[in-house]
Amino acid sequence: MIQQFTKTRWASLLIITAVLVGFSCSEFDLDEDPGKSQLAVLPYESIAELDLAVTGMYNRMWAALRMTTAFVSAWGGDDLTTHRASNKADFREYDQRAVTLGNARTRNTWRGVYQAIRAANTVLVNVQGVDLPDRATQDKLTGEAYFIRGMLFHHMARIHGRIALPLDIVPNPDITLASQEEVYRQIESDYLAAEGLLPTTSNTGATRPNAGTARAFLARLYMDWAGFPVKDNSKYSMAASSAKQVIDNAGSHGFALVPDMNTLYTLAGSANSEGVFTIAHCQPCGLGNRKTGKLGLPGDFGGWQESFAEIRFFEDMPEGHRKDATYHREIPLDAHGRVTPNVAGAASFIPWTEFKDQQNPVFKKITGPFEDNIFNGFQNSRSDYYMRYAEVLLTYAEASGRAGAETGDAWEALNMVRRRANGLPAGEASSEVDVTSGDLAEMAYTERKWELAGEYQRWYDLVRLERVKEALSNRSPQVSIGTVFDADGNATPTPLTEASNPILGSLETDNYFHPLPPDEVTQLPGLGGG
Amino acid sequence: MASILARMSLLALLCCGMHPAFGQRTITGTITDEAGDGVIGASVVVQGTATGVVSDFDGTYSIEANTGDVLEFAYLGYLSQTITVGDQSVINVALSPNVQELDQVVVIGYGTVKKSDLTGAVSTVTADDYKDQPVTRMEDALQGRAAGVTVARANGAPGANIKVRIRGVNSITGNNSPLVVVDGIQGADLSSINPNDIASIDVLKDASATAIYGIRGSNGVIMITTKKGRGKGQVDVEFFTAVSQVPDFLPTLQDDPATFARLENLRRINVGGNPNFTDSEISQLESNGGTNYQKEIFQTGVSNNLAISASGSEGKLSYFLSGTYRDQEGILITNTFKQLSLRSNLEAEISDRFTIGLNIFANRDVAKNDIGFAGNGQGSIVAKALTWDPTTPIYDASGAFNFRSIKGIASLNDNPVRTLTESDAQGINEQLSTALNASYKITNNLTYTLTAGTQLNNFNNQIYDVEVGDDFLPHTVFRNNKFQSYQISNILTWQKAFDVHNIKLTGVQEYTNATSITNGYNAFDLSLPKGFFFAELAPNAGQSAINNFSERELSSFMLRAEYIFDQDLLVTATGRYDGTSVFRSDNRWGFFPSVAVAYNLSSVVENSPTFNSLKLRAGWGQVGSQNVGPYSTFGGLGFNSFAFDFSSASAGSVLTSFENADLTWETTSQFNIGVDLGILEGRGSVSLDFFDKTTSDLLLAVPVPNTFGGGIINQNVGEVKNTGIDFSLGYTIVNTENFDWDANLNFSYVKNEVTKLYNDLEMIQGLYTSPGGQSRVLNTIELGQPLGQFQGAIFQGTWKTAEAAQAAEFGKNPGDVKYARDANGEIIFETIGNGTPTTVWGFNNSFSYKGFDVNLFLQGMHGFDVYNIQQAMITGGAGDSRSFLASDQVNQWTPQNETDIPATVQFYNSSRYVEKGDFIRLSNLTLGYNFGGLGERGPTLKAYASGQNLFLITDYTGYDPELSSRKGGQGNEDVAPGINIGAYPNPRVFTFGLRFGF
Repeated sequence: MIQQFTKTRWASLLIITAVLVGFSCSEFDLDEDPGKSQLAVLPYESIAELDLAVTGMYNRMWAALRMTTAFVSAWGGDDLTTHRASNKADFREYDQRAVTLGNARTRNTWRGVYQAIRAANTVLVNVQGVDLPDRATQDKLTGEAYFIRGMLFHHMARIHGRIALPLDIVPNPDITLASQEEVYRQIESDYLAAEGLLPTTSNTGATRPNAGTARAFLARLYMDWAGFPVKDNSKYSMAASSAKQVIDNAGSHGFALVPDMNTLYTLAGSANSEGVFTIAHCQPCGLGNRKTGKLGLPGDFGGWQESFAEIRFFEDMPEGHRKDATYHREIPLDAHGRVTPNVAGAASFIPWTEFKDQQNPVFKKITGPFEDNIFNGFQNSRSDYYMRYAEVLLTYAEASGRAGAETGDAWEALNMVRRRANGLPAGEASSEVDVTSGDLAEMAYTERKWELAGEYQRWYDLVRLERVKEALSNRSPQVSIGTVFDADGNATPTPLTEASNPILGSLETDNYFHPLPPDEVTQLPGLGGG
Repeated sequence: MASILARMSLLALLCCGMHPAFGQRTITGTITDEAGDGVIGASVVVQGTATGVVSDFDGTYSIEANTGDVLEFAYLGYLSQTITVGDQSVINVALSPNVQELDQVVVIGYGTVKKSDLTGAVSTVTADDYKDQPVTRMEDALQGRAAGVTVARANGAPGANIKVRIRGVNSITGNNSPLVVVDGIQGADLSSINPNDIASIDVLKDASATAIYGIRGSNGVIMITTKKGRGKGQVDVEFFTAVSQVPDFLPTLQDDPATFARLENLRRINVGGNPNFTDSEISQLESNGGTNYQKEIFQTGVSNNLAISASGSEGKLSYFLSGTYRDQEGILITNTFKQLSLRSNLEAEISDRFTIGLNIFANRDVAKNDIGFAGNGQGSIVAKALTWDPTTPIYDASGAFNFRSIKGIASLNDNPVRTLTESDAQGINEQLSTALNASYKITNNLTYTLTAGTQLNNFNNQIYDVEVGDDFLPHTVFRNNKFQSYQISNILTWQKAFDVHNIKLTGVQEYTNATSITNGYNAFDLSLPKGFFFAELAPNAGQSAINNFSERELSSFMLRAEYIFDQDLLVTATGRYDGTSVFRSDNRWGFFPSVAVAYNLSSVVENSPTFNSLKLRAGWGQVGSQNVGPYSTFGGLGFNSFAFDFSSASAGSVLTSFENADLTWETTSQFNIGVDLGILEGRGSVSLDFFDKTTSDLLLAVPVPNTFGGGIINQNVGEVKNTGIDFSLGYTIVNTENFDWDANLNFSYVKNEVTKLYNDLEMIQGLYTSPGGQSRVLNTIELGQPLGQFQGAIFQGTWKTAEAAQAAEFGKNPGDVKYARDANGEIIFETIGNGTPTTVWGFNNSFSYKGFDVNLFLQGMHGFDVYNIQQAMITGGAGDSRSFLASDQVNQWTPQNETDIPATVQFYNSSRYVEKGDFIRLSNLTLGYNFGGLGERGPTLKAYASGQNLFLITDYTGYDPELSSRKGGQGNEDVAPGINIGAYPNPRVFTFGLRFGF
């Protein structure tokens, strides 16, 4: 056989070997080049990189807060309720003060908000020690990251009280639950850092925060800090001075009350001076608002029957311009019996007391005016006020009262809100509505109740002032006459006597804050300390 | 195998000189095939000499030979014959085809082995095994025919993905699909392979067999060998028409809209609301009926299938050419699947030492309105139809579609008939695969083979979707996924026999490279409903672009030694050394060894009246998995956007993945013992294998706690074990002149268990969440349990009037659903079922009586549950199916009749909806008749009628327990099997076909 192994064959073997080795040379470099299609997590080398990361953080914040899910705890308030059956169990649990550990909205809020916090941490970690040529822009963007992180910690603290405070992007399996004071101090530190870095003014509606935004949120923080559970009353004066500082510089921050409250809750009015911090939505961009629209309508009209108005709260609210801007009392229908945006040409109107499924007033703030035609959509481009200037005014008034510093300016802040609520120019004194004596703090507190109704804020006022029991023990309708229909559709007027969803859980302070999602505690045992 | 035979016969002819001897005379004759036609190019050799000739055009030959000489007649694909010359001067030979040829050789990767010399666990399916069943998919050919292989059709849509698993599932995160190797080229997609092109399928199951594929071998390997031409030219044409329909509609209250309306009123009244339907509306529904959306979205689908192939050989060139055209209608309205595939397999013997072959496969298929496009967080289009309001007609008075339920009840989704009618979602798959095989015999012992191949795959998704939300402005989505790969394998084989020793060494050097490019755009909110090609009608804010690129490389060396001692002791040892680009350089290279021993004990059973052969096999090996995406070891940023001005979005980046530079392959070690038994002179055969497989260092996507932003870090943690049995039995029960009955039984049992997790965790939450706003997690991974655990509440019926006080503590009333609760009164959520089958079997019978043949194929799956969320949605009263629609709701709880059917809202995720999935199916029944040759030289004709999925024996109440369905982004399908949120039913199919041969 060896003889057969001629020179030609040796030659061919050599050629094959050469080919083989030839291929191989290029084959042993197996290193990947992820940079060809993906950005790496590295310190920023340009404003453009930083800007991308900051925009990405806003997207995560938007994703976390775009739905009612992140505001589910607000159903504890006496302004809001939900459908008594249907798939609204997660909301109902908060409404009835009997929240189960498995509540998916609690879990999803935790997930969404902490994802946004990581996005803020990504910016703050990678801007550390970086000095980019355009320092002003770097500072502005860094300030935005501090603000968003502080605001999101604050959001979580209002739901759970004590929370986790991750400040890095690397997971720390040994993280522990921060004490309530640590939580507030971290939020304060983030807001202060933001204030120091942010410009005086940003854009109309402040979808990007400015220094005034950060200060206004400090005022909100101090109000919470002064109340339950820390009850550090010294914080009221800090809340007052912070709010005052924002009010004094409102012009340069671009903050002011809009003249007509009705315009606040419209598509056209999305960007306006009243936004101290506004979450921007853009439906065609795939970035729609899912906190407003059809979820406020009852099922009779194709609604998602999620955010209904409590009847008693509605009954108690003073009549007037503001109440009309807050509620729809009736639904306009076309000739086919469908809800119509053409209110002027509506064939008929169904009052809320004649809804077939569940009789509650409808929040106009949530469904929008029918003319805006967002009532039939589960998403839209309307803005969402995370804080309105009216709140800053009322915070100033209430904090001043509670700090025992009832200045004329504090009364004026309250009166501005009252005047506008009555359809009067906010800046012009009115003998009809102005108040200058009495318990300023309590008057401001009550004014907040009406001013911020249906804006997912009321619950937090009840918590900080420990008034949950007081407010929720008193929800039975007094004067509303509903309707019972028989099998032939004949209506019998019948008084409404009970709130839509009865209270099932405790109204005491041990049921104010909600346990962390069990998954988190399983994975991070250090968070079990609460 | 054909090529080996050919090489041997040509060698005999051409290697040697011509030295005519004395005493010779001329022998002539004609060599004919089974049809009596002359065979061109058959070889005639005087045995033991160098003398040989080749037959001419008419099949005639002429050779010089002596009286005592023995002539050997050989032709590719036919049984050789030897005839002693004697005093004959004319010797005519009729060759018969070698049908056993493929059975005798098993493809084991980088070579073949005689079945009797096999040491590993390999199941083989040949074209013969499924020739009596009209098969349009490779997976159908495999299902129930290969022990150890589980084939689950999750979805009855034509062209839909079918899940194939070999010996259980190993990976919790990575893909568990086997590696598919077609004619030596790795990484093919089983779904697009044309079954008509397949000669044999060899399934490598144990690690001793799969270790030659090293880091790609852990899920088993399916070796596919496509057909080659042989002998006289042969043309086959097959045409069949198939009619598909929904086997059985599900009972719902859509059948009885008046009762639906009454219950809907009750649902309202029970929670303090008012009736929605007046008595007069109900009596109208009673007399006029409503709309049954289940029946409206389904149709009888008609499909046509034409397959043509030509094969044969001319001199040293053999060819197999085939084309198939398929035009299938789904049973879902507007759902179609069209496919054209072409194959050209050519092989040339350039010289006695050099053979080269090139196989080219081109395929284009288009699936329209497959179920996937219209599914979302609220279930599939089937689930939506099953839960749609039967009191709202399809069209309004003006003839336009009713978009939503007029009364805002039942499903909150769009009218499914409109969605299917007006949307146009196409998945267009264009594919070109090539495989070049060149073999050069350097010496008689040493052969070099080059296998090189490419795959080009363009998959386009072009979607025009009208079910988009409340503004009803249509969306278009376009994605092009361009996948390109190539492989170069250099193979050296050295083989030598010394007395009783036979040694074969195979060395391989190989490189593969795969790149994937995705480009696409979204155009949302088109201002006019014009169709897919009007993306420009979207506002600027609604337009967005996406693209991506990734590349992966694999560099490998493999050495295999096969040793046979005295025909009886067989040893195979392999080692493969793989380097993959998806891991960093320090963790990149892995060595995967295996060894297998087999012993032929045929002498032991030599005198047995029953058994005629016996072989014992044992093997051990390690294989790997590199099933993580490219760049998985790097942290990276993804993109998103935000619109600061409410109207135009700016790009943003966000951290989406974490770095883990230490990541390395996942290792599967497997031990296998087996026995092969031949019964009654080969009339029957039995094969039994036991395996024990452990997968460690799992490539697990370890969830990052939500506190740190969620997402995953890939880590090598955890362990999964699979142990089981594969059994196959083949037997010719009757074998007489007129009547034959062949039966084959395959049975597999696998026990799957998660034996290690991480951080002392006993359970990891899965990623599959229930549809319709409840978003509770349905599946878990539980230590000590098989993958595929279902999680939910424990259903205990209803609260009764007598329990009113206790119910009130939880805010419940009599008639409300009752679930088991813990000591604190919290509802318990725990494991309530498992969706991974333990037992799979197939029983195939072929009968032939004269010209008739009958095929009857039964198969079954056992030992698993189905989480029938679809039924939960039909039951309704929750989520996005607001109204009760289950037909048993007529017996719901009332104060007078306290049944266990709740009258109010309940969870989807409860044990109420877990059902046993066990089933037995008549997969195929075919009756065929062979007309034989039509006329003297006319074509042969066979006609057949068959039915697939003719009956199903099961206790399951949904369409079909084999089906499951899923949304995107819900993790590994093997971790959430058996969950049904509205699967496309498996159709019952009646087929009528004709087969011609020329």
